[in-house]
Amino acid sequence: MLRVIAIEFKRGLLNLRRYPLEMVGQLVVITLIFYGLFLGARYIAGPAAQFGGRLDALVVGYVLWTLSLFAIGDLSWGLMNEAREGTLEQVFLSPYGPARVYLARNVASLLIMLGFNLVILFVLLFLTGAHLHFAGAAVWPLAAALLGAYGVGFMLGALALYFKRIQAFLNLFQFVMMFLVMTPFERLEGPGRLAGILLPITPGAGMLRGLLARGEPFDMHLFALALVNGLVYLLVGLWVFTYAVRLTKERGLLGGY
Amino acid sequence: MAVLRAENLHKTFRSRGRAVQAVSGVSLRVEMGEVLAFLGPNGAGKTTTIKMVAGLVRPDRGLVRIEERDPHRDPWTLRRLGAVLEGNRNVYWRLTPLENLEYFGVLRGLTAGAARRRGELLLRRFDLDHKKNVLTQQLSRGMQQKLAIAVSLVHEPALLLLDEPTLGLDVEAAETVKQIVRELAAEGQAIVLTTHHLDVAQQLSERVAIIREGRIVAKDRTKTLLARFSGEQYEIEVAAELDEPRRRRLAGLGAEVTDGHVVYVGDPEGLWQVLEVLRPLPILRVEKDRADLTEVFLKLVREEADA
Repeated sequence: MLRVIAIEFKRGLLNLRRYPLEMVGQLVVITLIFYGLFLGARYIAGPAAQFGGRLDALVVGYVLWTLSLFAIGDLSWGLMNEAREGTLEQVFLSPYGPARVYLARNVASLLIMLGFNLVILFVLLFLTGAHLHFAGAAVWPLAAALLGAYGVGFMLGALALYFKRIQAFLNLFQFVMMFLVMTPFERLEGPGRLAGILLPITPGAGMLRGLLARGEPFDMHLFALALVNGLVYLLVGLWVFTYAVRLTKERGLLGGY
Repeated sequence: MAVLRAENLHKTFRSRGRAVQAVSGVSLRVEMGEVLAFLGPNGAGKTTTIKMVAGLVRPDRGLVRIEERDPHRDPWTLRRLGAVLEGNRNVYWRLTPLENLEYFGVLRGLTAGAARRRGELLLRRFDLDHKKNVLTQQLSRGMQQKLAIAVSLVHEPALLLLDEPTLGLDVEAAETVKQIVRELAAEGQAIVLTTHHLDVAQQLSERVAIIREGRIVAKDRTKTLLARFSGEQYEIEVAAELDEPRRRRLAGLGAEVTDGHVVYVGDPEGLWQVLEVLRPLPILRVEKDRADLTEVFLKLVREEADA
């Protein structure tokens, strides 16, 4: 499986290199946003402003927001493109099976995106002389939230595989994401609080808000909850995707667009 | 052991309350080093059958075995299968040929190093090594198709499925692909070939299966099928005028004489009698009417349609 992740990583980097304008565009956007954050332009972080006013909180919040958006849509856009271009069935001929190949592809893309963000961040820190006091512990709820985001990504990937054209739905889903990342479920009582535990991404995002915006200590129980939530969504997402693969093969819909 | 054994495959697709039976009771068998031409008109069920063999479409009934393993239950069976699918790019246009070979090699279970080494070998063999670092989208259609075949072979599969491999190629590129198929079969590769170019099928295949409306209407060795559909008609060209007594004797044997040609319909025994009548006239040519695969195909497909 590691060799599939490695080759997907290589393919991802090659694709970036082949379209330098696309890569430069991405670099410029990320640089401008981070630079804006450094200058104190909180609004530029969008939903990340919910994570508190401190620079480190804004940066972590922004990274969660962009990576979650990426995690949710990347697989579906990839599947739609491959179905259109006629490479999808070759990927499905892999003995590793589509779920594992696309999981490897997701891990590789995440590493590339994360690498992109970190490099720009460190370059800006170096150039501006700014300092970030990361709560290193913030990495864990961030990872838990991303697991859930990838789970939802696989569920949307299942729809993309079966229906082939779900662009409008994917665009609409950004607002659902905004609701999941921004709503402070952890401050609500009753059903709202329960929803904060059961919905995807929300326990991890809530814990991040606690750590970064409210300065709460790292709570092992909360993290366990966020991790279980993330893992359950990832497993359910993989199951739904595998079921969609089976259904698509039964109905002969794999190659059609 | 057969490399491919597909038995009694059935597939019905349902769309908006309507059921369309795409494949009904199809069985195929391919041995090592054998090319099976799988022919049929558009919409006959060829591609559905190919995809059922490749594990991309799940059959409603029937079984598929590649080296006695089921690709629908055991995904590692796909390690023994390579496919070039019609209407697909099959390879990434944003990658170079060598990168495609390395990527798909790893996806088929090789290590990156082994995939690269095997890729280099295949590029040399398919005369693509000078293009190994050029983007695939910049290659000619023929080169892209050769690359797709190379990619399908990178993991050394036992069974190769080629769905319309010469479609859209110019004459030279089609000839190259035909040569590749010939060489692969000679090396022991089992190949299922679907094509609308019946001359290609006739030149390359040991056996033929013809499908129409989801059912196999003929399945035999290519030579046997051609012989079966070839008439018992002989044409003899004579380099002299035939005199009246010869004409009468030939008519008695059932032969017709037209413009220096004698046409005889009958068994080989009768042919010798005709030749005896013609002795000692100089004979330029004796030819038995031989059907080609196009005639056989059209005859079978039309017969079935009329039935």
